[in-house]
Amino acid sequence: MKRALAIALLSLVGLGFAQVRIGVLSPLTGAAAGTGQAQLRGFQLALEEINAAGGVLGQPLELIVEDTRADPATAVAAFEKLMTEDGVEFIAGGYSSGVTLALIESFRTFQPIVSWIGGASSGIGNDDFDGIEELIGQEDWFFHVHPWDYQNVEATFGFLGDLGVSSVAVLHEDGAFGTPGAAGLEAGVEAMGIDVVLNEAFTSTLAGGTGDFRAALSKVGAANPDMLYWIGYDSDAQPLSSQLKELGVAPAYVFGAPPGWPTGIDTAPEMECVMGLIGYLPNLPNPEAVAFANAYRAMHGADPDNYMAALAYAQLWSYADAINAAGTTDQAAVIAQLEAGTFRSPMGEWRFKPSVQAKHQGFGSDMWLVFQFQDGRREIVWPADRATAPLAACR
Amino acid sequence: MDLTLLPQALVSGVLAAGLYALVAVGLALAIGVIGIVNFAHGEFFMVGAFLAYQLFVSFGFDPLLSILFVAPVLFLIGAALYASTIRFVLKAPELNQMLLTFGIGIVLQNLALMIWGGDPRSIGGVPYRAMGLQVGDVSVGLVPLGSFAISVLLVAGLYVVLARTPLGRAMRAVAQNRVGAGLVGLEVNRVYLVAFGLSALLAGIGGVMIAVIQSPTPTVGLAYTLKAFAIVVLAGLGNVRGIVSAAIVVALAESLVATLVPNGDSLRNAVFFALILGTLVYRSWRRT
Repeated sequence: MKRALAIALLSLVGLGFAQVRIGVLSPLTGAAAGTGQAQLRGFQLALEEINAAGGVLGQPLELIVEDTRADPATAVAAFEKLMTEDGVEFIAGGYSSGVTLALIESFRTFQPIVSWIGGASSGIGNDDFDGIEELIGQEDWFFHVHPWDYQNVEATFGFLGDLGVSSVAVLHEDGAFGTPGAAGLEAGVEAMGIDVVLNEAFTSTLAGGTGDFRAALSKVGAANPDMLYWIGYDSDAQPLSSQLKELGVAPAYVFGAPPGWPTGIDTAPEMECVMGLIGYLPNLPNPEAVAFANAYRAMHGADPDNYMAALAYAQLWSYADAINAAGTTDQAAVIAQLEAGTFRSPMGEWRFKPSVQAKHQGFGSDMWLVFQFQDGRREIVWPADRATAPLAACR
Repeated sequence: MDLTLLPQALVSGVLAAGLYALVAVGLALAIGVIGIVNFAHGEFFMVGAFLAYQLFVSFGFDPLLSILFVAPVLFLIGAALYASTIRFVLKAPELNQMLLTFGIGIVLQNLALMIWGGDPRSIGGVPYRAMGLQVGDVSVGLVPLGSFAISVLLVAGLYVVLARTPLGRAMRAVAQNRVGAGLVGLEVNRVYLVAFGLSALLAGIGGVMIAVIQSPTPTVGLAYTLKAFAIVVLAGLGNVRGIVSAAIVVALAESLVATLVPNGDSLRNAVFFALILGTLVYRSWRRT
């Protein structure tokens, strides 16, 4: 009887609210579709769980998903459609610094709450470039989920400091992702007393490159570093690794920093010993990671091997929890709850905190893990408190 | 500028030309014989790559062996697309033809997205992918060498077919004069169907090779299609004979700039656009 009464009351309360709709901007097709599809799978899982738990403000939560194709013009049109035709008040998703920079003026015009995964280019430490954190980090309505580029690099510095290399060659894709990232890496690494013997740009396969990196890798061979550190996209990983071996270039350590890794690459022999930075792995030793991996497998029939799925899942749950805690969709009330709340994620509990220039930064450098391909698996090798295997020496 | 890297740059450039030529020769065949600029050519390439990937995942086929399956399938796909769509626009304005092939490309890309998703797919266990023969300071990769050899054989085979066989003579005849060839009894539509099928087949074999080298995605064909257009322009529209030399010029120029210029790899696309521009300016200057 009490249960029936509670349901009736909840229904009556729910009738007082319109269904909450969140607009999602992700690259579902085009060259970055892998990342967008991973985000979508994370959103789908979170949405099912949120609605099974009673939805948002007593109604099922609805997502309106728009494909940006990782193309700035398409993304701006999609965002403006969400604002003018769909009338959403909350934006989720997000990928690519170039796309994010193109969206900033439209964000400022409409000023919905924007919770944004991608766009790591902060601009901090780069006088020649106004980055995303510098441009909109101070806005009350902007919440950035993914770590900034300097936080990515901070994690790397922590790892490099523990590793003790003396020279590094940097190869980076020549877009808004790789170029500032490489500049920050070079400055930080040199400050640690490590020689940067090469800093060379390449055209990613994501940006129209053919995947022939032999010229850049020959220069790495001539520079003879302890470590090759490359910043590019997932589809660059295999040609870079195989051509490195083909050319007989053998630095002691190879470290890749793409946003994701190709499906099936784990068993490629040339990947053995290659290391990478990743935000989430299914073998992360915490109960939230295991629960997420199990639920994800049950829904999608595969491992969540792209950490963007975990970030999307965390992002949508943060919206649901904050709006429910606010009890309204009023912007100021939801912002206050997003600022005050502690949210669930496969990486453990998290909250928005200030960063160098942004008011609301989600995950920081401590999200990152270093993994190494070992016998066809990705073993976490750093930090020590989350490691699943020791770092293997490979030269 | 480190000149010690020059020998490696030369070898890498020449070997890369093989794959460029293979993709470009199919495009040149469609332009030269049928007179259609096929913007879906890169998608045939992509379909070949994904078929090789799927054969590996489902049956453990070595990707190079899968050429034996992929080639006829791509021929059939090309022939079916010709029969069901292309042949209806042969007399239409060029813009309509381009829009049609562009649309076919979008359909194929999105079909691939539905079937394989947007994640790059890697054929993990290819033991020879990272092997190289060391000749002095120069490494000759087994995969680029193999793809160069296969490309040269296929392009040479195509030349022989065009020059020495009744089918080849028929193709050249319809390329020169569609109406005249019909008047002397050639079945023009059948010749076009075979030519379009062959064009798709060659792109598909190129795709198999790329499945070994890279991790296929639905958009993997784009970069190579752009190169193919540059090579076709350099060789002269529809000139199948000039493709290999034009491919070598493009690939070598890219490799030399990428190796000898700081941050040169990011100038690769600028190199081939400069080559197209230079060729077009030179041709227009020569005519005047």
